[in-house]
Amino acid sequence: MSVFSIFGNGKATAAQSAAALQLPTRGRMEIEGLTKAFGGHRANGIEDISLQCREGEFVCVVGPSGCGKSTLLNCIAGMVQADHGTIRLDGKEVNQPGPDRAVVFQDHGLFPWLSAAQNIAFGLKMAGMPRSERSDRVETALKMVHLTASADKLVHELSGGMKQRVAIARALVIDPAVLLMDEPFASLDAQTRTLLHAQLQEIWTQTKKTILFVTHSVGEAVRLADRIVVLHAHPGRIRRVVDINLTHPRDFDGTDITELVHLVRKEIEDEVNRANSQTAEFWKPASAVGVGRDSFSLGDGI
Amino acid sequence: MLLAWVVILSAWEMAYRVITWEPYKFPAPSHVLDSFCDLAGFRTAFGDPISAHWPKPADGEVHPGGSIPLLSAPAISGVRLLVGFAISIAMGVGLGLAMWRFELANGILGPVFLGLQTLPSVCWVPLAVLLLGHNEKGILFVLVMGSCFAIAISLRDGLRTIPPVYQKAGLMLGADGWKLYRYVLLPASLPALASSLRQGFSFAWRSLMGAELILAVDWHGLGYQLEIGRSYADIKQVVAVMAIMVMIAMLVDRLVFAVIERKVHQRFGLVG
Repeated sequence: MSVFSIFGNGKATAAQSAAALQLPTRGRMEIEGLTKAFGGHRANGIEDISLQCREGEFVCVVGPSGCGKSTLLNCIAGMVQADHGTIRLDGKEVNQPGPDRAVVFQDHGLFPWLSAAQNIAFGLKMAGMPRSERSDRVETALKMVHLTASADKLVHELSGGMKQRVAIARALVIDPAVLLMDEPFASLDAQTRTLLHAQLQEIWTQTKKTILFVTHSVGEAVRLADRIVVLHAHPGRIRRVVDINLTHPRDFDGTDITELVHLVRKEIEDEVNRANSQTAEFWKPASAVGVGRDSFSLGDGI
Repeated sequence: MLLAWVVILSAWEMAYRVITWEPYKFPAPSHVLDSFCDLAGFRTAFGDPISAHWPKPADGEVHPGGSIPLLSAPAISGVRLLVGFAISIAMGVGLGLAMWRFELANGILGPVFLGLQTLPSVCWVPLAVLLLGHNEKGILFVLVMGSCFAIAISLRDGLRTIPPVYQKAGLMLGADGWKLYRYVLLPASLPALASSLRQGFSFAWRSLMGAELILAVDWHGLGYQLEIGRSYADIKQVVAVMAIMVMIAMLVDRLVFAVIERKVHQRFGLVG
């Protein structure tokens, strides 16, 4: 047996084991020095955002209103053109909207002239998939968000939570490399939100998609994320990166989560206070204030 | 509602018969009914005092022969409306889309169209006569000018209310170029389109009636019947034709445009 064939066998085994473990092979995102100012005012945009997301990682971006969370997401989605910086998805630079970066919008953005199933099928139709194949995929997607019974309902006949589930199914059915979620549960009641957190976690475990989830709720971020990126406003910059080393699936009401939420919230508050006490320094890059982009981990061993 | 109308018309008729007003000064409902029948091709005398031969005319001649304007006039007007309104929709939709899509087009055309919209449609008649003459083209010109600006403006305003998130969603789902227009913006604009067509129809109808009233052409539409009533000092016919105009416009609005608008709004969940 030649060395070459041993090498070949080895590779096959590695690929097989990767498949068995369902390790995600796409969805690596590298954001480098992303800057966007609106109307010439740097205070209104984002500045020098650099961030790497691993394949299949769940990253939450938190921060106060106006910190540029949505701008960051819109830049990645290609809806807004950045002034400087690059976004690479699996090594390829992206700057236009496309089905490799599916978005779940805050106000769902479902098409009201289509039924739930037709909304989910829309992306497949645009990709030119034949009708028969489409309906199978749509059925699977509907099953995934537990909405098989509501397939033929019109958008206005669905509840807020159901609309967001359809929006998630619509985004996932086109098999994107990353899923971008822009405060998707912000307008839902607490009970529905908790239900959707559980479903999203389940979906994420199944699909192994890279998810970038924007929220203003630290609680939501701690529940869902592998890593939390904290932005500060005027202009939006990364101030903290917090790793959440809790295993999935998580018990959302467990004491460990509650404690972590407190810890992260306190970290952020301290951060704000420190920044405010150094108003003069506040406008300088984060590193100059001395508290910048160094990350810390929480939840080890819990 | 219907009962109220019956009461009002009966009171009007009664008052007329008690006071015995001159019928050429102002007609009673019965006179208008006579005029309706006359336009339908047979003579009646509902307006005469009740007698043995009522409601037949005194000379007993019921069918004088000749035309039936009650059918021919709305038919002629209807054909003109179909042709003119189609041109008007094509122009109005094109201009409305252009104003919505291109800021330059909106900057130039928007104020002009808003201004022209304030112009009563009969004011286009002299221009039509001098430009095109007393013919079908002139009538169509007045109709199109009287309605296409209203369609363009209301379509533009409607399109502006389309939430930007639909466009974003379409783009991220792979609907780019013409697909974005065909599968996202066109269906998203349906409520605006339905409302602007409904409004456009009422403008088109009014313009057509005005044009037919003034422009002398071979084919006599509904507007011309009004002019016949005026020239013969036949106030019964004037009121009867006005009533027909109102009824046709309301019927088309209720049975066609209101239905389309309601269906679209129901689909979009815009009504409870």
